[in-house]
Amino acid sequence: MSDATPQTRAVEVSDASMVFNPGTPGEVAALDHVDLTVEPGDFVSLIGPSGCGKSTLLRVIANLLEPTDGSVLVNGKSAHQARIDQDYGMAFQQSGLFEWRTVTKNIELPLELKGWDKKRRQERVREMLDLVKLPDRGEHMPWELSGGQQQRIAIARALAAHPPLLLMDEPFGALDEMTREHMQSELLQICAATGTTVVFVTHSIPEAVYLSDRVVVMSAGPGRITEIVSVDLGRDRDEDTREDDTFYKKITEVREALRGSEMSAEARGIEDR
Amino acid sequence: MLFASLAIAILLWEFYKAVGPEDGGDIFGWRIIPKTNDRVMPHTWTMAAEFGDDAIGSGDQKVWQVLLGYAWYTFRMAIAGLALGVFVGVGLAVFMARFKIVERGLLPYLVISQTIPLIALAPQVTVIRGSLDLPQWTSAAALAAFLSFFPVTVSTLRGLQSAPAASLELMDSYAASWWTTLRKLRFPAAVPYMVPGLKLAATASVIGVIVTEITLGGLRGVGFATIDYSQKVTSQPASVYAAVFAAAVLGLIMFGIVVAGESIAMRRRPKEVVG
Ligand SMILES: Nc1ncnc2c1ncn2[C@@H]1O[C@H](COP(=O)(O)OP(=O)(O)OP(=O)(O)O)[C@@H](O)[C@H]1O
Ligand SMILES: [Mg+2]
Repeated sequence: MSDATPQTRAVEVSDASMVFNPGTPGEVAALDHVDLTVEPGDFVSLIGPSGCGKSTLLRVIANLLEPTDGSVLVNGKSAHQARIDQDYGMAFQQSGLFEWRTVTKNIELPLELKGWDKKRRQERVREMLDLVKLPDRGEHMPWELSGGQQQRIAIARALAAHPPLLLMDEPFGALDEMTREHMQSELLQICAATGTTVVFVTHSIPEAVYLSDRVVVMSAGPGRITEIVSVDLGRDRDEDTREDDTFYKKITEVREALRGSEMSAEARGIEDR
Repeated sequence: MLFASLAIAILLWEFYKAVGPEDGGDIFGWRIIPKTNDRVMPHTWTMAAEFGDDAIGSGDQKVWQVLLGYAWYTFRMAIAGLALGVFVGVGLAVFMARFKIVERGLLPYLVISQTIPLIALAPQVTVIRGSLDLPQWTSAAALAAFLSFFPVTVSTLRGLQSAPAASLELMDSYAASWWTTLRKLRFPAAVPYMVPGLKLAATASVIGVIVTEITLGGLRGVGFATIDYSQKVTSQPASVYAAVFAAAVLGLIMFGIVVAGESIAMRRRPKEVVG
């Protein structure tokens, strides 16, 4: 789909800082000299305490926020150009479906904006509905679906244009545990089938470990990356993976990294006072 | 429901007519208790029968036939006024949603504009209409639009600003232009908010036309009929109420048109109430 050569990195954040309301009493250093590289096909999770800048980092990659310092490359282009070219799809915690559009029309939205003709759009929507296993819900309205189904439609919308990169901000946060695990497996299958690169924000350690090739652990005040944990569970993960010893070992590793990051954040907080 | 409340209104009217003082009454020297004689408060059945009476000075036409003609005339002006009001109202709302600074500069003046009595404005409108060489009925349509644009502007503006931040961010992530975002997101999101504004506008438009008819003269609609009949009140006291009734029905029809539009536009929306 993209003209990126295999050597081009999917995401390259170099020395990025993000300061909100600079020079005012409400000044917040949401990101402080952050470096992050994501290779094509990688699944990378961002995890860390609330307010450590995970969403901010995702928005910076998506070019919805301009970093105050540093540079961001997506698919070898500037983040701005990548947004214009719609090199990524996005999914948020709230499914954010348009309530006045049918499921089909919602999935079509990014294709419509790209100027695809009706026939091509319909074909793609059918393909996406099959992918998220809701083939016969196309003519329903979003509010007629369950929360998990809505979230699947939002993912279908994010993937509809076959973007090489998927940015997700706590997309399963509102779901119950069973649906959540089910969605995680489906997301992995979809990504394996399409070769999509994913940057995924989550609060759940097991979720991060189960999904990711690498878990990026962040700390707050100011937002920094403190550790990157590689998860070598292989690509073929299924329900058995969740009982795997390595899985537990990695969960512990991430938890300790998180605890360390929180303690160091607290230590900094004390110093600051 | 509509008929039940009508029945109650008739009962109250007849009850008061039966027990109230024939010559009215004073409270602390003020004459505020209405007389209940047949000139001031005709029986409701007299009013109803009035529709079938011969209209004075209209050949062999009945009152209802004359009123129907008047009502159709007023209706067309009200529709034209509403259309213009909606066009201007939505236009202003879009303009204000686009430029925050315009909203701050313009909105206070729009509010002030609504405090100007229509009667004070009517002569000016006539002068302008005359200089533009437009037909007379456009005065009424313009004044109807003047009354109806405001609720449309306010409700549409609020609706356009109601789009959730996450949805706006989504459109941003598609690098969608402001106009595309307006068409695909802000405008559809505004529809439920616009409905109450349009309902107000529809009835305001009828009021605008009727007031213009009464103030300016020369336009022979329902408003003209109320004045005309009130001058003949001695011979046919109930005919004034017949004209008022026609005006009320006209307002209801305009309202009904908006309600019909609403049920089409909101057919597949979730059933939740918006403020
Ligand atoms: N638009 C904004 N204006 C000002 N400050 C902001 C803005 N957005 C985020 N912040 C601040 O930046 C910091 C990081 O916010 P961010 O939303 O990235 O955190 P997060 O890691 O996603 O938290 P959570 O896990 O709770 O979602 C917070 O302190 C927040 O208050
Ligand atoms: Mg967040």
